[in-house]
Amino acid sequence: MRPPRARPYVDGMNDATDPPPVLVELDRLRKEYGDTTALDDVSLTIRRGEALAVMGPSGSGKSTMLNMIAGLDRPTSGTVTVDGKEIGGLDETGRSLFRRRTISMIFQFFNLLDDLTVLDNVALAAQLAGARAPQARKRALDLLDELGIADRRDLYPATLSGGERQRAAVARALVNRPALLLADEPTGALDSQAGEQVMDLLIDLNQIGQTLLIVTHDPNLAVRCAGRIVEFADGRIVGERTLERAS
Amino acid sequence: MSAVWSVVRAAVRRRRFQTLAIALVVLFSSATAVAALALLAASSEPFDRVFAEQRSAHVTVTFDAALASDADVAATAGLEGVSAAAGPFGQIATVLELPGEHGVQLPVTIAGRDDPGGPVDRVDLREGRWAEAPGEIVLSSAFADQGSSASPFQVGTDLTASDGTGFTVVGFASSFGRTAGAWVTADQMAAMGPTATQMLYRLTEHETDADIDEALAAITAAVPADAFTGAQSYLALKEDVSAELGIFLVLLTVFGILGLAVAVLIVANVVGGAVVSGLRHIGILKALGFTPRQVVLVYLAMVSLPALAGAAIGTVLGHLLATGVMADTFRDAGLGSPTVSPWADAAAFAGMPLLVVLAALAPALRAHRLSAAEAISAGGAPRSGRGLRVQRRLSGTPLPRSVSLGLGLPFARPGRTALTAAAVVLGVTTATFTAGLAAFATEVDAMIQRHEAAEVEVLGGPGGPAAESGTALGDRETEALLAGMEDVSNVTANLRMPVSALGFAKTPTLWFIRGDSSDMGFDEQLVDGRWLGAPGEAVVSSKLVHQNGVEPGDEITLELDGRTATVSVVGVVMGSGTGTVYTDWGILTGLAPDVEGLGQPIVYEVALESGTDPAAFLAAVEDEGLFGQTTRQSDATGIAVVALATAFALMLGAVAALGVFNTVALDARERRRDLAMLKSIGMTPRQVEAMMVTSMAALGVIGGLAGIGLGVLAHRQVMRLAAAASQIDMPDSLLRTWNAPLLVLLALAGLAIAVAGAYLPARRAARLTIAEALRSE
Ligand SMILES: Nc1ncnc2c1ncn2[C@@H]1O[C@H](COP(=O)(O)OP(=O)(O)OP(=O)(O)O)[C@@H](O)[C@H]1O
Ligand SMILES: [Mg+2]
Repeated sequence: MRPPRARPYVDGMNDATDPPPVLVELDRLRKEYGDTTALDDVSLTIRRGEALAVMGPSGSGKSTMLNMIAGLDRPTSGTVTVDGKEIGGLDETGRSLFRRRTISMIFQFFNLLDDLTVLDNVALAAQLAGARAPQARKRALDLLDELGIADRRDLYPATLSGGERQRAAVARALVNRPALLLADEPTGALDSQAGEQVMDLLIDLNQIGQTLLIVTHDPNLAVRCAGRIVEFADGRIVGERTLERAS
Repeated sequence: MSAVWSVVRAAVRRRRFQTLAIALVVLFSSATAVAALALLAASSEPFDRVFAEQRSAHVTVTFDAALASDADVAATAGLEGVSAAAGPFGQIATVLELPGEHGVQLPVTIAGRDDPGGPVDRVDLREGRWAEAPGEIVLSSAFADQGSSASPFQVGTDLTASDGTGFTVVGFASSFGRTAGAWVTADQMAAMGPTATQMLYRLTEHETDADIDEALAAITAAVPADAFTGAQSYLALKEDVSAELGIFLVLLTVFGILGLAVAVLIVANVVGGAVVSGLRHIGILKALGFTPRQVVLVYLAMVSLPALAGAAIGTVLGHLLATGVMADTFRDAGLGSPTVSPWADAAAFAGMPLLVVLAALAPALRAHRLSAAEAISAGGAPRSGRGLRVQRRLSGTPLPRSVSLGLGLPFARPGRTALTAAAVVLGVTTATFTAGLAAFATEVDAMIQRHEAAEVEVLGGPGGPAAESGTALGDRETEALLAGMEDVSNVTANLRMPVSALGFAKTPTLWFIRGDSSDMGFDEQLVDGRWLGAPGEAVVSSKLVHQNGVEPGDEITLELDGRTATVSVVGVVMGSGTGTVYTDWGILTGLAPDVEGLGQPIVYEVALESGTDPAAFLAAVEDEGLFGQTTRQSDATGIAVVALATAFALMLGAVAALGVFNTVALDARERRRDLAMLKSIGMTPRQVEAMMVTSMAALGVIGGLAGIGLGVLAHRQVMRLAAAASQIDMPDSLLRTWNAPLLVLLALAGLAIAVAGAYLPARRAARLTIAEALRSE
C-alpha cells in the first residue's frame, strides 16, 4: 500500500529526552457483570504516541477495558482519565462529545452502516462532529485516497472485501483526528493478506504519531505494531514487556 | 414439538418489548373492533331493533270514551289479524304546570296505565320508578333533558294538571311508539274522567299502509259508530324516525368502518414487522435443524400468544366501552339501549388473533422458503435500492446529520412505512372527520334554529300557554308589546299549522309569517331560489322537493276548511327534515278570516339589537307575563354523536400512535448495532432520539396532510349521503366549515400521533448501552 501522504493526525511528537505526556490513565479499574469480574483492579498508563497491544485468552477482559477507555460502558469502581479528563464524571452526552474529539474505535466486524456508501460512512463521523456536508466529504475522500480505497467510495459496505471494509472503518476512525485510536481485534475477521495490509496501515499511523491501543490474539500483530505488550488473564494484568521496535 | 415450545417461550420472554407491543396493539384493536362492530350492528336497523325490543304497536288507536265502553274496546283485541294488544288505557289531554313559576307549562297526553311492560309497547323506564299510587306521574324522558339538572322537571317535582289534580313526578320513561307524554295509574286516570280510550295493537299483516288500513277498518267496524277518533301507524313513525336519524346512522357506520380498517392495518403492520425482524433468528433456527414447518410454527406461536392475551382483555374493554358509549348515544337519540351483541364480541375475540395469524403467515412462509444463510443475512438492516438512493441524496443536504439520517430511515422498509403511514392517515382522517362533524353539528343547529338571527321566540296567541291560563293578550297586542320593548330590532309573528296541499301525499306544515322576515336567518338556509319577497310567494323545505317534486316556479294550492289559496314557489330552504311551506300572513287570512278562531298558538320571533343578552331579555318578557324561550337549544343527539365521534377519534389516534410506536421499536431493534456504532462515533443520546423521532415525524406530516384531504372529502361525502338519507338538501356553506386554524391544528394531529408514538422507543434507543449492543451477535 501507499504510505500516508499527509500527517494531519499528529498529536505531539516524541521528544528525545522527556517522556511524552500521559494520554490514558487507568486507576484500579474494576468491572463486574453480576458474578463475573471482567476487570479486577487494572491500573495502566498510556503515553502519547505510544502503540500498546493487549493480549490474553478469550474472556480475560480485554474488550471490557477498551470499552471503559472509550466510555462505552461504566466501571464498577476505579477511574479512567483520558487526555486529562476523568470520564467517569461525564454523562451520556458528555461522553459522546468526548468521544467525538478524542477517541475512535475500529472493530473486528467493521460496524459500517449498510445503507450508506463508503464515502458517506466516513463523512458521517465528521458531520457528527460538526463539519458541513461538503467539507466532511472532502476530508473523507482525502482519507480514502490515502488509505488506497478512494475508488470504492460510492460502493456500499456489503459489496466490499473484508480488508477494504476495515480500511473504510479506519478512515472513519481517523476523520476527526482522534488523540487515541482503539482497535479491538482489527484483523480478527480478515484473511492473512488483508490482515497484513491493515497491520501495515496501523504501523504507519503510529509512526506519524497516532497513539494506538490494539487488542489482539495475534502475537505477530502485537509484536509488529506495538512498542509495549500487556498480558491479561482473568481480568488482571499478568505481564508486560517493552519491545525494541524495528522502524 | 417441545423444542418448538421452548424456543417460543424463550423468544416471547427475550423480546419482551415486541411481545408487549403486539399485546397492546391487539388489545386496542380488539377494543376498537368490538366497538366498531357493535356500532355497525346497532346502527344498521335501529328502528326495527328498538321496535322489536319494545314490542311497539303497529297501530295506536284512540276511541271516544263517551261512545265506546272499555269492554267494547277490549273486545277488539280478539279481532282477526290482531296478534297482540294492550289497553284499553284511559287518556286525556291536559297541560301540566309547575306551580309558582309562570311560563313553564307542558301540554301532554296522559295515559292511565298500571304496568309499563305487557304484550305491546314495553315502555323503557329510564329513571325513578313507575306510578303506583294516585298522585304519582311518570313523564316522557323527552321532558327530562337527559343528564341536565337545569331541566325544571326532575323526579320529585310537583305538577298541577289543568283540572287542578296535583302530581309528583316519580320517574321518566320513553315509549318508542310515542303513545303518551305521561303516565298515571289506571285508577288515577279513571278519577280524572278520561275523554278518550287508547288501544295498542300489533298486527299479523303490517307491511304496507293498506295492511294497516284494513286492520283499522275492522277495528272501526267492531266499535259503536263514530267511536273511532284517530290512529297512528308505525309506518309514519318509522319514516319520521329514519329522517331524524339518517344523518347519524351514516356517521356511526363510517366510524365503524374506519375503526375496523385502522385495527386491521396496525395489526398487519405489527405482526409482519415482528416476523421480518425475526428472520435472522429464523435462519439460526434452520441452521440448528428446525424443519421449515417448525419454524413457521415458532413464529405463529410467538405472535399468537400475546395476541390472544391482548384480544381477551381488549374484547372485554371494548365491550364495556361500547356498552357505555352506545347506551348513552342511542338513548339520547331515542333509540333505546342497544346491547353489544355477543356476535361482535366473538368476532373481535376470534377475529383479531386470526388476523394476527394471517398477517404473520405471509412473512413466515417467506421465511419458510428462505435458506438458512439467506435468512441470516436478511436479518440485518434491509437494503432497498430506493432507500439507498434517498440516503445518499440526504447525506449531502445541509440538514443536521441526525435529521437527515432519520429522514432516510422510512425508505429502508417501504412496506412497513406504508402500513404505518396508512395508520397515521386514517387516524388523522378520523380526527378531521370528527372535527368537521362537530363544526357541522354546531353550524347546522345554528342554521336550523336561526338563533343568530332570531334569538328569542315568544309563544302567544289563542293557542299559546298564556291563553290556557287565562292571561292572554291578543295577537296584535302581544306583537306590539314585543316590538315596543327595549333592545328589540325586529319581530315577526308566525303561525304554524298543518294545511293540506293539493296533490301532496302528506299534509305539509305551513308557516304563515307576518312582518319582515328577510333578516330572520332563512336566507342562509336557501339551497335554491330566493326568500319570500312579495305576497303570494312561498318557499318550501327541501324535503318537499324530494317528496313531491316541488320546484321554484311551481304553484301550490292550499286548502283549509273548504277555502283555497294558491302560492307560487320562489325558493327552497334546507329545513329541518319536515315538509314545510313558508308563506305570508295574507294567505292565512285568505284561508281563515277568523285567525283567532283557529285556536292555534302564534310564535313571535324576536331579533335583538346586537350585544343584547337574550337571558336578560327573556326575563323582561316573563315580567310581561309572556312565555319566551331562547332559540339556542342544546341538541342532545348532536352532542352525543360528537362525543362519540371524539371518543372514537381519540381511540383511533391512540391506535395509530401505537402503530408508530411499534415501527420505531422494530427499527430500533433491527438497528441496534448501527445505533451503538453511531453512538460510538460520537452521536449523542439526544441526536439518536432526534433521528428516530424524525424518521416518523416526516411520515406524520405527510400522513397528516393526506388524512386531512381524505377527512374533508369523507366529511363532504358523508354529509351528502346523510342529507340524502334524511331527504334534505344543504346549502354549500354548511359543507365549508373548515377554517385555517382548524386545518393547521389537524395537520399537527398527524405530527402529534407520530411523535407520541415514536418518543418512547426513540428514548429507549438513545439509552442503549453501546458495549452491550456491539457485543450482541
Ligand atoms: N455485557 C456483559 N454482560 C455480562 N458479561 C459480560 C459482558 N461483557 C463482558 N462480559 C464478561 O466479562 C468477561 C470479559 O469479557 P471480554 O469481552 O472483555 O473478554 P475479551 O478478553 O475481550 O474476550 P475475547 O478475546 O473473546 O474477545 C467475560 O467473562 C464476559 O463473559
Ligand atoms: Mg473481546
